[in-house]
Amino acid sequence: MSLELVCPAGTPSALRAAVEAGAHSVYCGFRDETNARNFPGLNFSPDELVEGVRFAHAHGTKVLVAINTFAKAGAMDAWKAALANAEKAGADAVILADLAVLDHAATHHPNLRLHLSVQAAAATPEAIAFYADTFGVKRIVMPRVLSVEEIAKLNAAINVETEAFVFGGLCPMTEGRCSLSSYATGKSPNLTGVCSPPEHVAYTEDKNGTATRLNGFTIDRFGAGEQAGYPTLCKGRFVAGGKTFYLFEDPVSLNAASLIAALAKAGVTALKIEGRQRGKGYVAEVVRTFRAAVEAIDAGGTEVEVGRLLSGLVEGGRQTSGAYKKTWR
Amino acid sequence: MAEHFRGELPRFLRILAAPAGFLPLGPALTMAVRRFARRKPAVFDRLGEYGKCSFLIEPSDLDVSFLMVPDGVRAEVKCLRRRASQTADVTVRGPLLVLLGLLDGTFDGDALFFNRAISVSGRTDALVALRNSIEDAELTPADFVGATGSLGKLVDRSVIGGLGLARRFTGSPIPGEPS
Ligand code: SF4
Repeated sequence: MSLELVCPAGTPSALRAAVEAGAHSVYCGFRDETNARNFPGLNFSPDELVEGVRFAHAHGTKVLVAINTFAKAGAMDAWKAALANAEKAGADAVILADLAVLDHAATHHPNLRLHLSVQAAAATPEAIAFYADTFGVKRIVMPRVLSVEEIAKLNAAINVETEAFVFGGLCPMTEGRCSLSSYATGKSPNLTGVCSPPEHVAYTEDKNGTATRLNGFTIDRFGAGEQAGYPTLCKGRFVAGGKTFYLFEDPVSLNAASLIAALAKAGVTALKIEGRQRGKGYVAEVVRTFRAAVEAIDAGGTEVEVGRLLSGLVEGGRQTSGAYKKTWR
Repeated sequence: MAEHFRGELPRFLRILAAPAGFLPLGPALTMAVRRFARRKPAVFDRLGEYGKCSFLIEPSDLDVSFLMVPDGVRAEVKCLRRRASQTADVTVRGPLLVLLGLLDGTFDGDALFFNRAISVSGRTDALVALRNSIEDAELTPADFVGATGSLGKLVDRSVIGGLGLARRFTGSPIPGEPS
């Protein structure tokens, strides 16, 4: 069976763009802290999700709803409402990370198909078996820290589907375990659904170029014409050992298009494209290009030159195959 | 600091556009945004409290700029002579054709920012909210002039075709390609 292409939709119009560009599935979230892309002006109201599911299903595309932040102790109502609204809208699956949310879904929404979010960072057969046996999870979105060989070994040791990121922004830490944004701003991707919240980001220009500030901390400075990246601490430039450089990670985007065949051989069911915060221009372009790449490989053809076709859309103007081909510093 | 962006209008077109500073563009654009708010209120719901923020849009290749408060049916757009020193919650600067491409979704805002085709300053949260709301609005040129039906389709076809040609002519970034 062909690989399933799972594509981002930050807004109803991006959902339509993804569906029309050939997405097999789209993933999206509600306009609140229950999903890990909680940016202003982004995401779906319950009514918009109903309409989005109707549109996607009419075109043979599935809708997966990300409810993948960690619920607050004693204040789970938003997560419970999100699960109920996803089921009411006819979602094909929900993507969850938190144990309490998984338990609530398994107990109160037994007909909802459960996928485990990358935020849960399940990367061992033991962890995956726990989620599968305890909550009936059917698919794991794998953290972006595994090589293709490790994914092949993992797939041989588990009996649920796996989904691998193939394109888009990289969160280089073991997913869901980064405190950089919390340290600088008091808000984190895991709890409030946003890393480097935009209300804490400021760009200031002077004769030396543009400085990026996160809640008062200067995290990067780039000259006129120099490619820029997302304003996250992991991609900031700092002085260490007398040198100024990207200490944790360069501003690059993941592009594993050249590994699609290898990922399929390693037993991966679905390929995921990151980018719910991106515009419909990005969504349409990336989805169309990857759909052609997947079909070319299915047909035994040659690789599509995804890197060249999408080079104008990527962070920092550069692309990497990330941990899939491991070359850590 | 003077910044030069790829895709700016050539000099002769800038001269042709100069009288725009004297036309009653502000009231016309105010009416267009308000009309749009009446037709598609969901766009302004998505924008929420950020509708009350002021956005200064500075085409780097024209001598006019636009100050907009996109507060639904109370929206206000002012057309300013460039040198008027104006403060706003958010300032976005870039070539006119690129800024128009952001409006209709031709360009991805993040990609333009990565490639330094636009520059931004001020309240990033307000800009992100506006960008996402516009993104979802699926704005077409006909929305701005209030044309519907076959007249609307004609307006869209002509303006979008014209903008595409102009972008190729000026060397604007092409979606998906590096600048
Ligand atoms: S700072 Fe970087 S690694 Fe940490 S959550 Fe944000 S994007 Fe991920």
